[in-house]
Amino acid sequence: MAEGTDLFERRLGRDDFLKLAAVGAGAGLLAGPAKAAEAARARLLAESGRLQVLDWAGYGNDGGQAMFAAYVKKHPKNKPQFTYMTNESDALAKMHAGLKPDIFRPYVGWVKYFAQSGLVEPWNPKLIPSFKNLNPFMVKAGQYKGKQYGIPEDWGFDAVLYRTDKVHPKAKSWSLLFDERYKGRIAWFDDLNMLVIAGLLLHIPRPWHMTDAQLEKAQKFLISKKHVARMIWASETDMDNAFASGDIWIAYAWPNDWVQMKAKKLKVAYMRPKELPVAWVGMLMLGKGTPRRRLAHAYADAWSSVPSAKWLENNYGYGHANTKARPTSSDLLRALQLTNPKAVTEPNAHLDRDIPRRAVYARKWEEVKAS
Amino acid sequence: MGRGQGVLSVPEAQARRRRLRLDFTTPVLLGLPLAWLAVFFLVPIAIVGAYSVGRLSLDPGPHTVTLAAWHDFLHSPIYLKLFWKSVKMSLIVSIVVVALAYPLAYYLALSGTKRKYVLLLLLIAPFLTSYLLRVLAWKVILGNQGVINSFLFSTGLRSPDHPISQLLYSRFAVMLVLGYIWLPFVALPIFVTLESLDRRLFEAATDLGASRWQTFRRVTLPLSLPGVIAGFLFVFIPTLGEFVTPSLVGGASGYMYGNQIVDLFGTGFPDWQTGSVLALFLLGVVALLTIVFSRFLQTREVTAG
Repeated sequence: MAEGTDLFERRLGRDDFLKLAAVGAGAGLLAGPAKAAEAARARLLAESGRLQVLDWAGYGNDGGQAMFAAYVKKHPKNKPQFTYMTNESDALAKMHAGLKPDIFRPYVGWVKYFAQSGLVEPWNPKLIPSFKNLNPFMVKAGQYKGKQYGIPEDWGFDAVLYRTDKVHPKAKSWSLLFDERYKGRIAWFDDLNMLVIAGLLLHIPRPWHMTDAQLEKAQKFLISKKHVARMIWASETDMDNAFASGDIWIAYAWPNDWVQMKAKKLKVAYMRPKELPVAWVGMLMLGKGTPRRRLAHAYADAWSSVPSAKWLENNYGYGHANTKARPTSSDLLRALQLTNPKAVTEPNAHLDRDIPRRAVYARKWEEVKAS
Repeated sequence: MGRGQGVLSVPEAQARRRRLRLDFTTPVLLGLPLAWLAVFFLVPIAIVGAYSVGRLSLDPGPHTVTLAAWHDFLHSPIYLKLFWKSVKMSLIVSIVVVALAYPLAYYLALSGTKRKYVLLLLLIAPFLTSYLLRVLAWKVILGNQGVINSFLFSTGLRSPDHPISQLLYSRFAVMLVLGYIWLPFVALPIFVTLESLDRRLFEAATDLGASRWQTFRRVTLPLSLPGVIAGFLFVFIPTLGEFVTPSLVGGASGYMYGNQIVDLFGTGFPDWQTGSVLALFLLGVVALLTIVFSRFLQTREVTAG
């Protein structure tokens, strides 16, 4: 099996081509022209080289191997080669600078942007056997104009993580990130979503579609509160280290950080703010014109499988779009509301969404950091 | 031209060959570095310049030249304030480091110690490790549970519930680490200048009745100024555009101008136009400073008078 796979994946040389032609002709004589043509075509379509994956830290060979182990087993000659992204903007910058990933992972709010960008192409779900088990709501969120641009995989929430032994919130609210009592103990997230959070707190009705005046208001609020933030993290590891060492008590965080801090025996709580957490769904996207289209589908299938999904839930504390996967811990099952197929949307959470004026938001956020 | 007119005497022919050789040698010798400079310095700057005025853009479609990004930058209190903040931080680092490095270099160069080269080697020993490692080591020292706070807890000078938290993720942390990193870069040029001073000048000053302090103030210091200024520039210019150290130990308050450039090009929603404006502004300021200070680097213009 493996040998056959290797041969199939080898780059075609001139000799191979001639051999294929001969095999094709022989097969044609023996089994009929249609089969021979199909065999030759399949071989000519053979894909080679390592699969180029642009992904987040923790999802590559730095701990995330279990999630694509099935792919590596099946395609040992085409192991994934990772480049890491710190967020979608970073991925976009890398792609503009010439990086051509076969696969990368933006989150649900970026599906429309990337689908329109010309940098990606739609998937063929028929080539992903596990696709049928994926949460239909999330599957739909990965579509643009009826085509499947994003394969939903990991999902979770943005919310507030805090030390229960040090911090006493006045309310279950995002406002804890701006609480003067804990000045110098708070970590914000380096992302324009901070403006959305400010918008939620300021009761701006549609914080993903703010007008100039609303955006100005949200920016002013963040600038006025910036002195309470000790760090604005771009690297999850940096934030985790700062939290674990006690430099930080309150953080804009993901479920994984909660799991990690609990594993370090810290007394922590992962708040569900009354303004609702922001939910996200990771979407694997296919680079436009990728020379490894089938391999990319095989990789997405490995990520979508039940064992990978279960591993992700148990070890990272994230949900997975595969509805057949369930974590071992019932605490986690409850926290992520994995039995609720619409856990990521209202009334449970605000699902992250397209920001039509993303460039303006980004500029405002950069100014907050520079202020 | 007739054959007879072309006949040259032997010395003339040798001189002509020498001239020819020179004619070819100079362009060949200069050509490579100039080409290097053009391809890897001038062309990239031109590309960045084209981005800054919208001639090049990440967005597809026709691009019109516009100075809007320059206008926005020059009228943005936020970016100019950030630049000024970075200038102040770099100035403080440079001045403190020069003040620390001078006595060190003075001792090594003029004390007559036989171990001066061993000591010099010790000074530059940290260069043998990675820059990143040296910065990260400070996180271990400065953190809430780092070496300094742990010492304070163990001696009872500070309660574990109240560590000195401003040691890390602060402007102070950035300046401290930058000072540590760049100290040898300042000490070395000052050391070289001091060591190459003509010792007879000190003897002459002593013979003329100058005290040690007067000799230092009127002879040693003025003559070593080129080294001091070179050292100052060696720190000031790179720290002004620094982004690695602030991103590792600076936290929210230690964010510098260089971080903003990086974020505009990368982690923020890519805004290469504004990023290019910020980068070129920095380049312009650095070039101006280099021109202003370069006159002080010419030893001939410094007198002991």
